[in-house]
Amino acid sequence: MIRLNNVSFSYEKGFGLSNINLDVSEGEFAFLIGPTGSGKTTLLRLIYMDLLPDSGQVEVLGHKSPKIKKNSIPFLRRRIGMVFQDYQLLDDRNLFDNVALALHVIGDDTADIYDRVMEALNDVGLSGKEQHYPSELSGGEQQRACIARAMVKEPELILADEPTGNVDPVAAYELVKLLEEINNEGTAVLMASHNYGLIKGRGHRIIEMQEGGIRRS
Amino acid sequence: MDQLLFLIIEGARNLWRHKLTALGAVFSVFFTLFLIGVLLVMNDNTDKLINYFRGKYKIEVFFNESVSNEQASKLVKNIRTIPGVRSTTLISKEDAMSIFKSQFDEDVMELLGYNPFPASCVVNVIKQKNVSLSVEPIIHRIKSLDGVSEVHYQGRLIKRIESYFQKFLKAITYLSGVVLVISIIIISNTIRLTIYSKKELIRALELIGATKLFIQVPFMVEAMIHGLIGAVLASVTIAGSVIFVNAKLGVLYNVSLELNGIIIALWLTGIGLFISLLGSQRAIARFLK
Repeated sequence: MIRLNNVSFSYEKGFGLSNINLDVSEGEFAFLIGPTGSGKTTLLRLIYMDLLPDSGQVEVLGHKSPKIKKNSIPFLRRRIGMVFQDYQLLDDRNLFDNVALALHVIGDDTADIYDRVMEALNDVGLSGKEQHYPSELSGGEQQRACIARAMVKEPELILADEPTGNVDPVAAYELVKLLEEINNEGTAVLMASHNYGLIKGRGHRIIEMQEGGIRRS
Repeated sequence: MDQLLFLIIEGARNLWRHKLTALGAVFSVFFTLFLIGVLLVMNDNTDKLINYFRGKYKIEVFFNESVSNEQASKLVKNIRTIPGVRSTTLISKEDAMSIFKSQFDEDVMELLGYNPFPASCVVNVIKQKNVSLSVEPIIHRIKSLDGVSEVHYQGRLIKRIESYFQKFLKAITYLSGVVLVISIIIISNTIRLTIYSKKELIRALELIGATKLFIQVPFMVEAMIHGLIGAVLASVTIAGSVIFVNAKLGVLYNVSLELNGIIIALWLTGIGLFISLLGSQRAIARFLK
């Protein structure tokens, strides 16, 4: 599903990743851990092809960079659900419209969209809040909305970049449980975190990053 | 089809979601279209204006006393062939006498026993706006004709009016070009600001797999609505202004401005849509990777 071969990338100001080799299988749940600045976000950005490697090859769901055409990237991203620490919800529309946007993008029928959005909101425990705007929700609720937007299109892979970074410990625990439930349905999950306590002992693969490289996988 | 409908509705809803920025964009479009509209009205009325002024030009040609009405008639025919002359009116000796009688209520024949008035003619010059008019050559040609005694005309006034008219035509042409370029820049920058305020939306759309077209269409719809509202407001304001000016001009000078309302509205709508779309395209291109 995800394969990185000798991938290196550096930003203009320096830092980045060097010589990364990584495989993530279908349906796998893996934690990506490491201190701030270790390269977790850069690795995720390379996987959803927001960045292209300087050398080596990133292969995700059959798409290979750096040869991927720019107009193919949206079609790759439609098969990936993304969850961010800062939620990336749109403040100018309610929860329903935020989640529905992901389905409009893939061209789903309007008739199906209502049912699918309501189901996704129900799955993440936000039933009854579909008319609320992001600013009216707690951090945990916003993050669950973000997960609903990621899962509503039934992706093959969910990439979560520090999804528990802005929520309290109870909400963080619930979010991880939610991602595990999604994973149980067959969706692969790659979650970046620097919260060792949260992921310890959950029985999932741990990929440890340090200074732009993979220390342990 | 569902997706296209969604994108169109999304564009329209964005107007409401971002009322303040939309207001700024609409005002820019309105302001520039209003200026363009004023230029269009001025261009439409140039003909009328020049007709009005040239209608005031009067060249009076007096023939020698010895010139008979028949000879005067021949001379008038000659004058009519001079380039720049639109029409001529012969005033025979008898006509001149009856004009005098009607104006002064005096019968010259009774006083003097003969008709002292020479035959004369009034020369009207061309009125077309696209033709530059110089009266001097016409006067020179008339004066060179045998039998012509005197030529009366408002030389300095005509020269001044013609010179102002040529300057006015040039100014309108340059001004139209400058206004169009400035309007594209203003609208483009306004839309760029509008889109900059929505870079979060663009980023979110990119991350959930939206194609460039999907991201662009709502902005294009929004820009078209800005253009349309701006064009409607500009058309209505111009129509109102023309009605107001006509009410004032009519009282003072008995002239009125022409307004081809539908043509101007169509032009403004076309220009509004064009510059809004161009501006939005330029602005979006900067934010899409």
